[in-house]
Amino acid sequence: MNAITIGFKNLTRKKIRTTLTVAGIALAVAVLVSLLGFDAGYQKSLSGDIDKLGYHLLVTAKGCPYEAATLILKGGGGLRYMEENIFKRIASDPRVDKITPQLMNSVYNQEGAGGKGAFAMYVGIEHSYLELKPWLKFRWGGWFSGSAADEVIMGYEAAEVEQRKPGDKVFVPGVSKVLTVKGVLKRSGTQDDGVIFLPLATAQNIFELPGKLTGVGVKLKDIGQIADFEESLYNEPGIQVVSLAEVRGTILNLVASARAMAGSVALIAIFVALIGVTNTILVSVFERTREIGVMKALGASSFDVFKIVWSETVIVCALGGLAGVILAISGSGLTAKVIRGMLPYAPQGELVLIKGEFVWMALLAAIVVGLIAGTYPAWRASRMKPVEAIRAGE
Amino acid sequence: MKTIRLSFSFIFSVVSLFFCAAAVYAAVGCQLNDPDRDVKKIFPESTGYKSDFVSIKEIGGGGLYQKIEAALGDKFDPVYEAMDVPYSFYKVLKGRETIGYVHGVNQKGVFGGMQLIISTDLAGKIINFYYQKMSSPEAAKFMDKDFTGKFNGLALTDFLKGNIGISDPSKESGEDFRYTLRGVKKNLILLHELELKDNVLGSVKK
Repeated sequence: MNAITIGFKNLTRKKIRTTLTVAGIALAVAVLVSLLGFDAGYQKSLSGDIDKLGYHLLVTAKGCPYEAATLILKGGGGLRYMEENIFKRIASDPRVDKITPQLMNSVYNQEGAGGKGAFAMYVGIEHSYLELKPWLKFRWGGWFSGSAADEVIMGYEAAEVEQRKPGDKVFVPGVSKVLTVKGVLKRSGTQDDGVIFLPLATAQNIFELPGKLTGVGVKLKDIGQIADFEESLYNEPGIQVVSLAEVRGTILNLVASARAMAGSVALIAIFVALIGVTNTILVSVFERTREIGVMKALGASSFDVFKIVWSETVIVCALGGLAGVILAISGSGLTAKVIRGMLPYAPQGELVLIKGEFVWMALLAAIVVGLIAGTYPAWRASRMKPVEAIRAGE
Repeated sequence: MKTIRLSFSFIFSVVSLFFCAAAVYAAVGCQLNDPDRDVKKIFPESTGYKSDFVSIKEIGGGGLYQKIEAALGDKFDPVYEAMDVPYSFYKVLKGRETIGYVHGVNQKGVFGGMQLIISTDLAGKIINFYYQKMSSPEAAKFMDKDFTGKFNGLALTDFLKGNIGISDPSKESGEDFRYTLRGVKKNLILLHELELKDNVLGSVKK
């Protein structure tokens, strides 16, 4: 019989104690794997969301966009607008590959949310919007019949909520305007699924914002020119420029802070589990003092005893690691749901992405924890003198 | 070289601006906006509720789909009223006792989707009806309690028999009035067929 078989048999003698110790390790490993998975998933999803915006830079009106965003999210008007001629100046820059102007407007709907009032959002666009987002395809219908047509194109989910198809009417509350559905987009998995689009000129007309824009999306011919391009717009009055790479970096930095805190919790959990394993095996060694004495009296070397006890801790930690990995993988959907509920902005897509390397890393970490945790109990057991151990155990 | 410094609030705002649209239409389907609040408001004596999501496909498949269409007297929209659309039912509880049901359906309207919420007693008689969502130039007339209150006391059998004695509250939205009646009738049929399973449709035929 080798040390691992004997160690395994020893563990099965105290099933409840072994199970609880394994569960402690499993929880710590599950937290660690979920955390690594969240880090990978969030980065991938966020990058995907930003890439799907279709542009490298976003030019918006100068002011306090935080206030504006809050107004749109929580309800209200008062967005800051920029002049359309700025769009024309940027469009004439030879470094620009594609550019698209947008006008967003939220409208108060007295009858929304069960009569309590709610805001609906509309976005005025030009055909260049689709050129910047070639993945947007029509489910039904097509592009507006004219640049100032009284028509809308609806995102997949917006159409589903409103139960609209081409030819149906859409009532724009607040401005009491009726528009006709010209097209419905296929599901894109982006924010566009929830938007009602209308021709830019129509939006400017019905919302009484002639010559105004809320933003301009810019895609450059050479992504390496982003910094220079931003610099050249720095002195343009009334606007501010946001590089979406910078947006991504800032959000990821923010998430990294949260991740560091969660990582500390995971480390504490692992440390607690390590102490738990050490304690369990040590108690087990003390309970078997006489047995160890007999083993040594019958010829077992100190190293044989050391190997047996060490094997027990490694088995406990390896089993805990395996259980933790299974727990993390099977619970990844729930973890993603909880995170999505807690974060103010969670990107679309798989928020918890558990890669194979995380699984191996976690299992290896569990085994290393086992080796560390088992060293002291194994050393204590191997140092026992046979006669004293047999007497002490009587 | 000058650097452009972006504060977190600015970044958050820009991201919010361009991602918030997803939040506006995040919830598709007809569930209560705030079940805890809404159920308590309709049934003040309630102590809780149990929600149940079922589709025609799960309960009875194609046969039931056709049976419901026949009882409704109209074809379902193959896209927005497909067989696998999940309907949410809220069984209202007082302690362990069931005291009523709340159920909502989406219904196409002339100017946008309607969300029609009915609350019934255990026999399926309407005790409250309201529009959770309604888009129309005359929406206020439809959402007025004087109009929605007229549905109280009605049951599916009244709709199946024909005239329910409620007139159009609008001047120029007769089609939305027709859609409302269709939606309430659909709501009651689904409640009986998917939740109560009391074969009211069968008993009326006999």
